[in-house]
Amino acid sequence: MDVSQYLEIFLDETNEHLQNLNTQILELEQNPEDSDTINEIFRAAHSLKGMAGTMGYKRMQNLTHDMENVFSEVRTGNIKVQPEMIDVLFQCLDALQEYTDNIKNSADEGTNDNEPLIRLLNDILNNKGTASAAPKAAEKESKKEGKSKKAAPAKAADSANDDAPWYKASYDESQINVLKEAVKQGKKVCALNVTVNEDCVLKAARAFLVLKAVEEKGEIAVSLPSTQDLEDEKFDNSFILIVITDNTLDDLVKAAENVSEIKSVEGGDFDPTKLAASAEETAEEEEPVKQEEVKEETSAAAAPTTAVAPAAKAAAPKAPEKKTGKPIVNRTVRVDIEKLDSLMNLVSELIIAKNSLVSASTGRSQNNTVFNEQIEYLESVTTNLHESVMKVRMVPIESTVNKFPRMIRDLQKTLGKKLELYMSGEETELDRTVVDEIGDPIMHLLRNSADHGIESAEVRAERGKPEAGSIYLDAYQDGNNVIIEVRDDGNGIDVEAVKNKAIERGTITADQAAQMTDKEIINLLFLPSFSTAKKVTDVSGRGVGLDVVKSKIEALSGEVEVKSQLGVGSTWTIRLPLTLAIIQALMVVVGGEKYAISLGSIQTIETIEKSSIKLVQNEEVINLRGMVIPLIRLNEVLENESHPADEDSSVVVIVKKGDKVAGLVIDELIGQQEIVIKSLGKYIKQVKFISGATILGDGEVALIIDVNALL
Amino acid sequence: MDQLSVNNNYLPDDGDETKVDLATFQYIVIRLGEEQYGIDIRYIENIIRMQHITRVPKVPSYLKGVINLRGEVIPVMSIRLKMGLPDDEYGRATRIIILKTEGEETMGILVDEVKEVVTLAENQIEKISHDSKSNKPMFLSGVGKHNDELISILDLNTVTIEDNEQ
Repeated sequence: MDVSQYLEIFLDETNEHLQNLNTQILELEQNPEDSDTINEIFRAAHSLKGMAGTMGYKRMQNLTHDMENVFSEVRTGNIKVQPEMIDVLFQCLDALQEYTDNIKNSADEGTNDNEPLIRLLNDILNNKGTASAAPKAAEKESKKEGKSKKAAPAKAADSANDDAPWYKASYDESQINVLKEAVKQGKKVCALNVTVNEDCVLKAARAFLVLKAVEEKGEIAVSLPSTQDLEDEKFDNSFILIVITDNTLDDLVKAAENVSEIKSVEGGDFDPTKLAASAEETAEEEEPVKQEEVKEETSAAAAPTTAVAPAAKAAAPKAPEKKTGKPIVNRTVRVDIEKLDSLMNLVSELIIAKNSLVSASTGRSQNNTVFNEQIEYLESVTTNLHESVMKVRMVPIESTVNKFPRMIRDLQKTLGKKLELYMSGEETELDRTVVDEIGDPIMHLLRNSADHGIESAEVRAERGKPEAGSIYLDAYQDGNNVIIEVRDDGNGIDVEAVKNKAIERGTITADQAAQMTDKEIINLLFLPSFSTAKKVTDVSGRGVGLDVVKSKIEALSGEVEVKSQLGVGSTWTIRLPLTLAIIQALMVVVGGEKYAISLGSIQTIETIEKSSIKLVQNEEVINLRGMVIPLIRLNEVLENESHPADEDSSVVVIVKKGDKVAGLVIDELIGQQEIVIKSLGKYIKQVKFISGATILGDGEVALIIDVNALL
Repeated sequence: MDQLSVNNNYLPDDGDETKVDLATFQYIVIRLGEEQYGIDIRYIENIIRMQHITRVPKVPSYLKGVINLRGEVIPVMSIRLKMGLPDDEYGRATRIIILKTEGEETMGILVDEVKEVVTLAENQIEKISHDSKSNKPMFLSGVGKHNDELISILDLNTVTIEDNEQ
């Protein structure tokens, strides 16, 4: 079978399962006895194995198989969770990740068999104490039994139970005859009730894989609904297979369970004579049921336990445990990000068109109220549309930050420090592209905190701090920005050390150093190849890091800042814009040209008398409500002639970046407007203080001033 | 694009029935000052009338700024300034030719006038050999003859390349 079309789904799911395993195993390390966690781990490992097997990745399958064996033993209580075991399991996850990465890059899992890991896993299995002498086969057998009991709690009773779903379905006479014949010939007839996950996207594909897997073990005599209907996805979440086989029931159940996204497989021996009996029963009930069905024909919940009339063949039996299933998952659709991009572009064009309508309407006579009302209506619709599209593109940062607890755990081992990571705000949402990119910078900062920030245990004891160093990762929304903070209670940044290092490196001279504020010196850390770590470790200190963090975040139109107190700890703050494409801006005129300034960075707008502009160290400043604010004359920055409307006073836009404030002197205000950010293109080399351009309502292009670059 | 590009079978204004198939190229003839230049039609996306150009600060002077072309922001360059000629004077015939360069970037160039489309065969174009003594970049790839007039063929890659020294 050609599985390449499922490759993408496979990769998505594998990554999800691996992430899940990472999280759950960490959890297990904390609570070794928690049976929910163990079950969840087992399920994830099992799905992984099944998926790898289906896709033909044998090495991956082998490794997961052995991991599954270990989990299975843990689940039955034969093995106690030990720290060494957790380490081995994490190594296995890394190996699996490697396989997955290989598959992603080349559709091939690579050639690493990971034999040492498999040996370690088997060692764990064999050293489990009680049953260590038991032969492996028996071990497997017991495991299997244990498993199928858990997977299908009703199973044990099934064979004896006439209520099993397969007795409730309806069969052709010919089908019954075939089955009776098989029983007469002494063949084993088994029934399987396969339930597919409710949120499964490709039900037909899953069903097909189940059929395929089961066919290898035996002959499928009856399939309800028919195999054709299964392939056409004409079934609910479950279907029944009656199989004539020489293998054991467990083999069949296992084969079917190995397919991913299969929620459960119930199995039981099938006795056609019972069917006849129950068929009679159903015949009696037939009439009332039929009437009921007419009433509830469209209702999916139609009589799950009552028998189905023989005529209604296509109706699949309900999954018996449907109600006890997992929490309801949001119905989702996977969409290519490119489609969202083009949708976003269309919304942008719509907003431009709307803006030009608005500017056209202002030129008209005032009395056309209907027209103006409609324009206002259009404005609110486009704004809502924009917000909705933005929301569609937003994903929680959870997917990115989830890998950090595992990383901190590993760092703990490599650095020999006790570390605790506290995360909050994982549900904070950001644009998908930003979420994908932000992982690396955060990782650098966390590693930085773990390596440089948190002191060694002795120093911490001396300072009266708790032994375990705390690292906090907090995310929250602040207006039009999302803030991500990495905080630690470690040593903080040693400003003197940074200063000495900078002088030693020739980055600054001693004279310069003497004049620099602590903050300016700390900012030197963001320069390329600057590392104060006394020794280079695996973790950090090679001088690549903070400058990469800074440039990456700036590429996302964000900023990073650090506050630090020696001996107490440091806080790194990443500030990211919520949206990358459309912003609210203040339109201004400088020297007859129109410019846009992002509203997010504007504090206030002031009219300043010429006389109140003072000179301090040859720089123009104003004193605004007790605060001395430096002035930046935009016409000088933009290299044009200023034509102020009023000779005696100037309009000053007070802008801020973090706690830096400045006043931008402009000629004239136009007003607030929603603008669509367009790139200037590669051809015009990035002008530092211009972050892009936008198209105004009249079709003219206005440049967007990047306040962050001016301050 | 396809029907605009090389036409192998048809030679205009050429009376004689030669059987030798020569590659022909179509050029748009533009005027800069008194001189005529040809631009390979395959690079041309569009020709638009002069419109307001938004100046961008701190860029080389030959980059006139940016314009709005159906919702996209496109840089506009003056080939006059790039080639060391006097600055453009915008008139009624001034046009912006939108080019798609090899790097798949779209840009506009200012010309004084767009005159006509000519088809030149390979043998009607004389290649210009590079003058090694001169340090000035060569903006021309050849000179074509058409109706007794000379048309300098612009080498768009040299024209649109960024000046690194500025």
